[in-house]
Amino acid sequence: MSLATLAPKLKTPAVILAILAIWQGAVGLFEIREFILPTPLSALEHLFLPQPDANYNWMVHIRATLLEIGLSFVITSVVGISIAIALAWSEASRKVSMPLFVFVNSLPIIAIAPILVLWSGYGLKTNILIAFLVSFFPVVINTLAGLAAIEEELLDLVKYLHGTKLQVFLKLRIPNSLPYIFTGLKICSTMCVVGAIVGEFIASDRGLGYIIINSQYTMDSPPIYAGLMLVSLFGVSLFGLVGLAERILMPWARRGVAEK
Amino acid sequence: MSDDRKALISLRNVKKVYRTRDTELEALGDVSFDVFPGEFVSVVGPSGCGKTTLLKILAGLLPHSSGEIVVESENFDIEREVGFVFQKPLLLHWRKVLDNVLLPIEILKINRKSMVGRARELLSLVGLDGFEDRYPNELSGGMQQRVSIARALIHDPKLLLMDEPFGALDAITRERLNMELLHIWEETKKTILFVTHGINEAVFLSDRVIVLTARPSRMAASLDIDLPRPRSQEVRTDPAFGRYALEIYKGLEIT
Ligand SMILES: Nc1ncnc2c1ncn2[C@@H]1O[C@H](COP(=O)(O)OP(=O)(O)OP(=O)(O)O)[C@@H](O)[C@H]1O
Ligand SMILES: [Mg+2]
Repeated sequence: MSLATLAPKLKTPAVILAILAIWQGAVGLFEIREFILPTPLSALEHLFLPQPDANYNWMVHIRATLLEIGLSFVITSVVGISIAIALAWSEASRKVSMPLFVFVNSLPIIAIAPILVLWSGYGLKTNILIAFLVSFFPVVINTLAGLAAIEEELLDLVKYLHGTKLQVFLKLRIPNSLPYIFTGLKICSTMCVVGAIVGEFIASDRGLGYIIINSQYTMDSPPIYAGLMLVSLFGVSLFGLVGLAERILMPWARRGVAEK
Repeated sequence: MSDDRKALISLRNVKKVYRTRDTELEALGDVSFDVFPGEFVSVVGPSGCGKTTLLKILAGLLPHSSGEIVVESENFDIEREVGFVFQKPLLLHWRKVLDNVLLPIEILKINRKSMVGRARELLSLVGLDGFEDRYPNELSGGMQQRVSIARALIHDPKLLLMDEPFGALDAITRERLNMELLHIWEETKKTILFVTHGINEAVFLSDRVIVLTARPSRMAASLDIDLPRPRSQEVRTDPAFGRYALEIYKGLEIT
C-alpha cells in the first residue's frame, strides 16, 4: 500500500487522536479535577492496572458486554427481518400487528425496564430483551419498506411465467430490499449497544454499564471514562462490521466508479 | 398465410376497458387477428392506443374485458411457452448477466445446471460473449435490452412477445439489433409478435403488420408483407417496401 492510498484511511484515527490530545492538554491546562474529568491517559491506564489494584476485573466485564451486544444484535436482526417478511407476506397480519409494534416502540423502554427485571430477572436475558426492544423497530420498518419498494413492472417478470408468491419474495422482494435491510441493521447495531448498556445499568452485576453506574456511586471517574471509550469502540466496530458485510453481500452496489 | 393451418393464438373481438373509481377508459376497442406458428407479426399504432395492454393481456398479466383469446395449436402451453421482452430491459440489478438470463428457468423450476450452457449460447447469439459475469449497471442500454432478449428466449418459448424493445435506443443501435433479431428469429423459428412505433421497422421485419387506430383502438389494416427472405438492407429499396409503408401511413391516417 502506498502512502497515497493509505492516507485517506488514516483520517478517522487521526481525528480521534487529535481529540484525545486536545482533551489531554485541556485537562492539564485548566487544572480540571479528576472526578470531574480525568485525562484520557489516566482513564486508559485504569484498564491496565494489575488486578488487585484495579477496582474491576475488566476482562470479565468486557466479555459480558460483548456477549450481550453480539447476542442481542444477532437475535434482533433475525427476529426483526422475520417479522418484516411475515408482515409483508400477509396484509391481514400487517393490519393486526403493526399497531402493536408501533405501540411497543413508542413505549419509553428505559422507563419500563424495571418491570422487565421483575418479569425476567437479573442478568443476560433481561439485558438482551431490553436491547431487542429498543432496536428491533428500525429493522422491521426498513425491511418492510425495502420489501414494498420493488418496481411494479419487475413483478411482471415472475407473474407472466406463473411463478409463485414465494418466488416473488425469494427472487425479487428480498434481494431488492437488501440495501434497506442493511440500513436497518446499521441503526440496530448502535441501538443494541445502547440497549445493552442501559440493561446493565438496571439489571446486572457485570458489564461495562455496571462499571459506569457503580463508579459513579464511588465518584471514581477514570473507570467511567475507560468504560465509555470501550463502549463506543464496540459500537463503532459493530457498525463497521455491518458495513463490511454489506459490501461483501452486495457486490453489485460497489462497482462502477473504481473500475471505470 | 394459408388459413387452413392452425393459428398459434387467435384473438377474437378482444376489448379492454380500464376501470378506475370514477372513470372508464376504453383502451382496446375491438381487436381480432390470428398469429400463425413461425410468423413475424408486428403491431403498429399511435402512442396510448393499447399496444402494451394487448401484449400484457396475451401474457396473462391483465384480464381482458370481453372477447376471446383462443390457443388453437394443441402443443402450445400459453402459461409456460411465452417469452416477454418488455418496453424497458427490467434486469435485476443484483444479478449478474448470466443469472438474469436464467431467471425464467428458476421460475419454471427447470434444472438450472442443464441450462447454463444454453444461457451462454444465447448471450453469444445476442453478441454479449464475455459479459456473463458483469452486473447490469455495467452495461449500456442496448446491451441491457439484448440481455432481456436472451432472457426471454432461455426457456425456449414458442411465442415471443416484444414491446417496443428497441424504442429507447438510438437509430444505429436499433438497426443493428433489428438485424440481430431477424437472425435470431431465423435461427430459432419462433413466432414473434412485435410492437413498434416504427413504420419502416415493421415493414422491414415482418410477415404481417397489424395497424391499430388511436384509442379506442380498432384494426385499421392487416397487411401481408410479401418481401423476400432473408431480408437485407437492400429490401428497403424495393418499390414494394415503399408501397407497404404508404399503406400503413394511410391506415394511421397520416397523409
Ligand atoms: N393500469 C392502467 N389503468 C388505467 N389506464 C391505463 C392503465 N394502463 C394503461 N392505461 C391506459 O390505456 C391506454 C393504453 O395504454 P398502453 O400502455 O397499452 O398504450 P401503448 O399503445 O402501449 O402506448 P405506448 O406506445 O406509448 O407505449 C392509455 O391511454 C393508458 O393511459
Ligand atoms: Mg406501450
